[in-house]
Amino acid sequence: MNIIIDGKEYGFEPGQKVYDVAEENGIDIPTLCFNELNPDERPAGCRMCVVEIIDDGNNEPNLESSCTLPASDGLEISTKNKVVYDERREVLELLLSEHEQDCRNCGISGDCHFADLSLEYDIDGVSVCSECPNRKDGCFLSRDVLCLGAITHAGCDAFCTRNGDPCEGCFSVLSNEDVLVFGLEAYDENGFSRKEVLESAKVFSYEDVEVLKRLMEENDLLKEEVSE
Amino acid sequence: MKDVDVEVEHVTRVEGHGNIIVDAKKGELEEVLWEVSEAPRYFEAFVKEKPYDQLAQITSRICGICSIGHALTSLKATEDAMGIEISKQDKMLRKLALHGENMQSHVLHIGYLALPDLVGKDSIVPMTSSHPEELKTVIGIHSLANEMSRIMCGRTTHPRRLIPGGFSKLPSPLELEDLMHKLESSVTDLKEIASFVKGLSSELPDFERETEFISLTHDDEYPFYEGKIISSDGGKTPVEDYLSVTNEYVVPQSTAKYTKNNRESYMVGALARLNNNYDKLSPLAKEVAEDFGLSPVCHNPYMNTIAQLVEVVHNVEDSIRIINELLDRGIDEQGSTHKPEIEPKTGRGIGAVEVPRGILFHDYTYDEDGRCTDANCIIPTNQNHGNIQHDMEDLVPEIIGERTEDEIELTLEMLVRAYDPCISCSTHYVDVDFVE
Repeated sequence: MNIIIDGKEYGFEPGQKVYDVAEENGIDIPTLCFNELNPDERPAGCRMCVVEIIDDGNNEPNLESSCTLPASDGLEISTKNKVVYDERREVLELLLSEHEQDCRNCGISGDCHFADLSLEYDIDGVSVCSECPNRKDGCFLSRDVLCLGAITHAGCDAFCTRNGDPCEGCFSVLSNEDVLVFGLEAYDENGFSRKEVLESAKVFSYEDVEVLKRLMEENDLLKEEVSE
Repeated sequence: MKDVDVEVEHVTRVEGHGNIIVDAKKGELEEVLWEVSEAPRYFEAFVKEKPYDQLAQITSRICGICSIGHALTSLKATEDAMGIEISKQDKMLRKLALHGENMQSHVLHIGYLALPDLVGKDSIVPMTSSHPEELKTVIGIHSLANEMSRIMCGRTTHPRRLIPGGFSKLPSPLELEDLMHKLESSVTDLKEIASFVKGLSSELPDFERETEFISLTHDDEYPFYEGKIISSDGGKTPVEDYLSVTNEYVVPQSTAKYTKNNRESYMVGALARLNNNYDKLSPLAKEVAEDFGLSPVCHNPYMNTIAQLVEVVHNVEDSIRIINELLDRGIDEQGSTHKPEIEPKTGRGIGAVEVPRGILFHDYTYDEDGRCTDANCIIPTNQNHGNIQHDMEDLVPEIIGERTEDEIELTLEMLVRAYDPCISCSTHYVDVDFVE
């Protein structure tokens, strides 16, 4: 009994799910709703593990979550194609829109599977804070040091903050305005001025300064100058 | 008598875009031209109105290879303008950072860009099968140098920890000790590389043209971080009078400015430093220089690559000495995010540092808020363009009769490469077209 994954045949045990066959053979399928901590719980709720069933005469092309799809002889599926990618991306975007954005205070920032996937699926709206291990009191903002991480694109694995320096924003300002406002609130709470945040952001994101300015004004965030 | 027409656009295995043009009719040389076709960069305009603590971060982006050098030159100019003193420890750490960068850049040039010419290959790629072991040794040293930059500056490229007044974060004593051991064990590898290059040194063209060498010089040390400007024609100049040495001018064939001092052109870089400061080299570095018959004053520009090799040995030896001294006196700890108290003030400051390709100047003027009102940067490669042109004018007539177009082209390309020009920030291979 064989199943075809991405054009290659693999044997399987009766009752196995497609996800497990793929995992056994080192084929990466992302999941969010179950993980190594509770591998047996499969709510099939996140739909990140979708794969495409290829039309083989018996099955119509269809997207199925691989964690619940039983392996069957002759079944052909694809784990990596544009349809699958787009579906997963949409799933992630929806999840992200509901997701708590407070990466700065989150217990898993710096090692966040969700953030990693968002980067892999090129979703805008993930800040350097999600990759930064300096949480709460360890955060530069809590220590009165201006760090641009809260409004800067992730993707560098927070190299500077991991190595003891604040983020200088070299991956440029995020374009997701909701997340930007959230980041700006962090500067506001920690008493930074508009002037210093804008000046710092200007170095690598000159064109985004107007957006930041507008968001500060619309949301009445950050003071013009900080009185010493 | 033959016609020769060489047009190399662009020279490969150098940083950026430069072209060589040779045109001879019936053995009569009509034109030799070293053209720089790179677009201007405008960094001096970018930094205007920027606050003093951002300048080093911005100007370090001028280059991806000598970003530490740019950052340090920039910081020295800012610190000079505002009268900021740094501690002895910070100065030692900055010297280490500079050693790391110099090693990294020189090994890149010697191993990846110049060596293929000496072993008769087009690039480093075929060397993976023809000289795998030698290449591994080169890569090992290059990676150690990158590691050193990371330990000192937080990042291999574009330093993060170098700030006005010192360092935002210091390397730990453990990191330094580990680095020292790695440097110590790299000495054997360096000797291997030196003897490998020695075996190939007959491939270096035997060409001499008397020129002026300009570098920093220092009473107590081989100068990288500080010193006065010295000319091999005699005379020292304080750094603040650098404009009297550089005398920039513009030529039609180049988007880069040229410079001249006592003669029609001068040379900066490893060979200039070595010629002007030979006595200050570390013992093993001197040994390597002697081994290659390299002693002051050497007027063969092709020997610049060998001078770089000598300097790498010096960098390693001197770094070991500095780390030893640091560990002996004990490192003064500072907070995990240190920011020195600085009161911005108005004034003009000039920084000069010997970076891999030669002497680098940054010159800033600040207003009372510590914002830059005026900036001038003079890059080593700019100072070498004139000398490359004059070398070519002398070299081509010497070789034009006896060599084929291909050989002339290679000899000239090797000349340009010997200067290790950093025309901007890109390296790529382009095939050469001859104009029939």
